[in-house]
Amino acid sequence: MAGSSKTLMQVNIVAADHPVWHGEATSVTIPASEGEMGILADHEPVLTVIKGGSLTVVDPAGERHVFEVTDGFISFDSNKLTVAVERGRDVVRTAGTDADAE
Amino acid sequence: MGSQLALKSRIASTGSLEKIFNAQEMIASSHIAKARDVALNAKPYADAIFDAVQAVVAHSHITHPIVKKEEDNPKVAVLALTSDRGMAGAYTSSIIRETEDLLNRLEADGKQPELYVYGRRGVTYYKYRNRDVADTWEGDTDKPGVEVAEAISTALMNAYMKPAAEGGVSELYIVYTEFINMVVQKVRVLRMLPVEVIEAEHEAAQPGFDAPSDAAKATPLYSFEPSLEEVLDAVLPKYIQSRIHECLLEAAASETASRQNAMHTATENARNLIDDLTRKLNASRQASITQELTEIIGSADALNNKEE
Repeated sequence: MAGSSKTLMQVNIVAADHPVWHGEATSVTIPASEGEMGILADHEPVLTVIKGGSLTVVDPAGERHVFEVTDGFISFDSNKLTVAVERGRDVVRTAGTDADAE
Repeated sequence: MGSQLALKSRIASTGSLEKIFNAQEMIASSHIAKARDVALNAKPYADAIFDAVQAVVAHSHITHPIVKKEEDNPKVAVLALTSDRGMAGAYTSSIIRETEDLLNRLEADGKQPELYVYGRRGVTYYKYRNRDVADTWEGDTDKPGVEVAEAISTALMNAYMKPAAEGGVSELYIVYTEFINMVVQKVRVLRMLPVEVIEAEHEAAQPGFDAPSDAAKATPLYSFEPSLEEVLDAVLPKYIQSRIHECLLEAAASETASRQNAMHTATENARNLIDDLTRKLNASRQASITQELTEIIGSADALNNKEE
């Protein structure tokens, strides 16, 4: 990502029976067990338990993807964020812009 | 001849059986493609969990009950994955044979196995023989969803986490059919619990290299939230569930493949039988024509002889 103004992270959301979403993001908000937690690129490696709730991904185009997830966990390491939940689904794409940058 | 009619009706019924077998074979082969998709879809989740468990293991020596139980408890659980429907050749019977073997082996070791069965065929087998079964599940053996895996793993984890005094078990074995390829499926026994965690190979890194710093790079230093123990508590049961789901999916693929093979053989057999019966029918028709001819000729000869 040399030259780009912002570092991005790879987000991969997987449910037990199917991959839900993957793509690049600038920030992700997760329903961690101790309350909401925001993750930006270059975060330190972390493994966190999450509880059911909604997870928001902001992609490079500024579009917000909201996912409804059950409990599970996330792991973040070298700008790769893996969200593993039992069931997850893409609820709304509340669009800041209407560009679909997947 | 009366047998001609009988042969004709046998040919007709074998013909319709052949059609059914053929249809079943085609259904099974379409299901295999689906089973493969399901397995592929579940893989990222299993990988994510496996990576997480690896990350935790790399950090500390875990002393979670899932990895090691302190108490000595002769009770063990055995889960047999059979099928809901028949027409799958020796699929269920080889699972049952292997399960019986395992139960006998465990008993010989002085353990008290408890049986858990998934799949209608296995359940009826044990019910008919009045065997004690701890718990059973039925339905969807050819396309097991997360719900089934969840139900099974919750029940088994409960049994495992209970202390021995309350009827808990100390080990869990799974008897399932491994899908090697379309033609070969093998019955396997897997010890699921306690988990044998394979420590990442950083301890076995080549001594010639600067091993410690390499290892530090290879396994990132995670921070765990809320705490290592809580992460472990959450991740390990999920790991078990995902492993059980994996076994279920593999068993489902094997079931479908062995059903397809069985139906293929049945179709071939039916065709051979039809060929055989048709040959017999032709022979008997020919025989009856020959007999009629001899009778006509014989009687004509007799009449001619009288006139002369």
